[in-house]
Amino acid sequence: MIQLRNVSKIYGKDGGQQVNALDSANLNINKGEFVAIIGASGSGKSTMMNILGMLDRPTSGEYYLDDKEVSTLNDDELANIRNKKIGFVFQKFHLLPKTTAIENVELPLIYSDRKDIRKFAVEALAKVGLSNRGKHRTNELSGGQQQRVAIARALVNEPEVILGDEPTGNLDSKSGLEIVGVFQELNRSGKTIILITHSSEVAQHANRIIRIHDGKIVEDYKVEKPLDAVAELADLKNKKVNINTEVHKS
Amino acid sequence: MNKYKIIESSFRVLSRNKLNTFFMILGIVIGIAALSLTFSLGKSTEKQLTEKVKKLFSPNNILITSGRVELGGGRSSESATANLKIEDIEAIMNEIPGVTMYDVFQTTPERDVIFGNKNVSTAINGGTAEGEIVMRRSVTKGEYFSKAEEKSSARVALIGTKIAKKLFEDSDPVGAQIRVGQVPFTVKGVLEERGIDPHGSDLDMNVIVPITTLMNRLMNVNYIAGAKIEVEDASKTEEIAVKITSLLRERHSLNVNETNDFSLVTPVMVKEIIKKMNRVFTLFLPLISGIALLVGGVVIVVIMLMSVSKRVSEIGLRKALGARPKDIMFQFLVEASVLALFGGVIGLSLGLTAAWLFMSSKGLIFFFPWETVLIGVLFPIIIGVLAGILPARKAAQLNPIEALS
Repeated sequence: MIQLRNVSKIYGKDGGQQVNALDSANLNINKGEFVAIIGASGSGKSTMMNILGMLDRPTSGEYYLDDKEVSTLNDDELANIRNKKIGFVFQKFHLLPKTTAIENVELPLIYSDRKDIRKFAVEALAKVGLSNRGKHRTNELSGGQQQRVAIARALVNEPEVILGDEPTGNLDSKSGLEIVGVFQELNRSGKTIILITHSSEVAQHANRIIRIHDGKIVEDYKVEKPLDAVAELADLKNKKVNINTEVHKS
Repeated sequence: MNKYKIIESSFRVLSRNKLNTFFMILGIVIGIAALSLTFSLGKSTEKQLTEKVKKLFSPNNILITSGRVELGGGRSSESATANLKIEDIEAIMNEIPGVTMYDVFQTTPERDVIFGNKNVSTAINGGTAEGEIVMRRSVTKGEYFSKAEEKSSARVALIGTKIAKKLFEDSDPVGAQIRVGQVPFTVKGVLEERGIDPHGSDLDMNVIVPITTLMNRLMNVNYIAGAKIEVEDASKTEEIAVKITSLLRERHSLNVNETNDFSLVTPVMVKEIIKKMNRVFTLFLPLISGIALLVGGVVIVVIMLMSVSKRVSEIGLRKALGARPKDIMFQFLVEASVLALFGGVIGLSLGLTAAWLFMSSKGLIFFFPWETVLIGVLFPIIIGVLAGILPARKAAQLNPIEALS
């Protein structure tokens, strides 16, 4: 479904100092995969995310989405594809301030041709378990809830790919696990998930890990036994209970 | 794109950033309030002035006054006020075709008007018998003096309602003997109640006597202050005014280098006087309002540019979610226009309310000027769109990657 061929991204002017943020990357992602792209900061994984999300065009190389070359499209066409085929989840949530959850979820629909905006937004919020929070303003929600609203927003236009850029980066470990759980569940229901992260622990929940270093893909392997976020959460709960009881004993 | 949702969200943005919104609309509110206030006052006074003048001055009237009169102002000081004679006006009547009748006027300084032991001080006016028609004066009790009485310098007088009230209270003044100074007069009639004229004198304090009586018995002069001519065909008024000018110049033996020692006021000039009097409303104050609107527009530009900088991440997000540059542009233009329109509506209500309060406090009739509604709605939208262009372009051109990082 997603295919990168010799994609490079060079920053900096001709003659000046140039940075190869991405260097002849080749990549194939099939429908229904859960891919984690990992790397240290400055490795080029953010550039990879921008190119995969069509927020930026490669300097050279080709990008096929559903067998269509998209790297040469103009701004309006790219905006249209982002709207229909890609759902973004960001590290800093990027929800509109002083605005209700449901209004945030509606946002991508405003830029589509779809009718019944409210109905789709309500459905998407239900999918992330926030049906009862629709009328709440985003600043009244916890970090984990805010990120769920953001995921609902990414889902609402029923895109093929969900692109997460460090979606757990601003969350505590428990909320982070919950969010990873939501991604795993979406993946099981058929969505293609691409998670950009610097945390190899988060990456262990994906089916496939791609490691980027100095703009090059240095590793690309299947995860034999991905971690299950829901099970981990259950363990965490048990442990907590144990600790509590121990404290109680002493 | 769902335009309705964008417009809806613009209302939300403005209502949730009240302080910004307040400052942004302030200039527009002041500008439109001032504009609608002055426009409304200007229109109302113009309308009322025009109506009042119409009562005194028809399209087939020409006013002749002795000496030079500056348009809209007072008499010039060098004017020789003793030059205009009744004979001049009679000559106009006899020699220029199309002139049907005339009234002349001359006024005394204040004199005591006495009946029994009661006494009122007022100026006495002189006129011809045709004054009833030419000056649109009607008599409610008794009758107007006749041509014969005018010619014979009869001691008859018409009195205003206030004079009648003061001297006679409720009894009938017609036929009574009054004195003006030492000169006895018979009251011939009571004039219709007319209120205050545009120059501020109380027409109900009028005492009118035949012009010859005034000149011979009260003032001992042989000249008049002016005359009002009525012509048959209103379309010929200006043409006849030119003929009157040359006739009077000839009669006054003025050579080509000398300026007129009289002035004519024609319907066209009256219209111009009214316009001039209204210039403060129609020109000067709208100019100030215009400046306020301009400042209001600039304030919108500045605060919206700030708001674009503050909302960089929102703009980036919207772009990532599929907003095209023109969608972002549209959003900010809508915000600016809604804002300005909001200011316009508030300003309009304030301005018209103020105009209404002002007019009713002065006992004048308030006309609802529909033009101002158009101005109050259209102007702000134009200002909003113009003021929004710069910030909207800036927002539309933002790079989503930088905006989101």
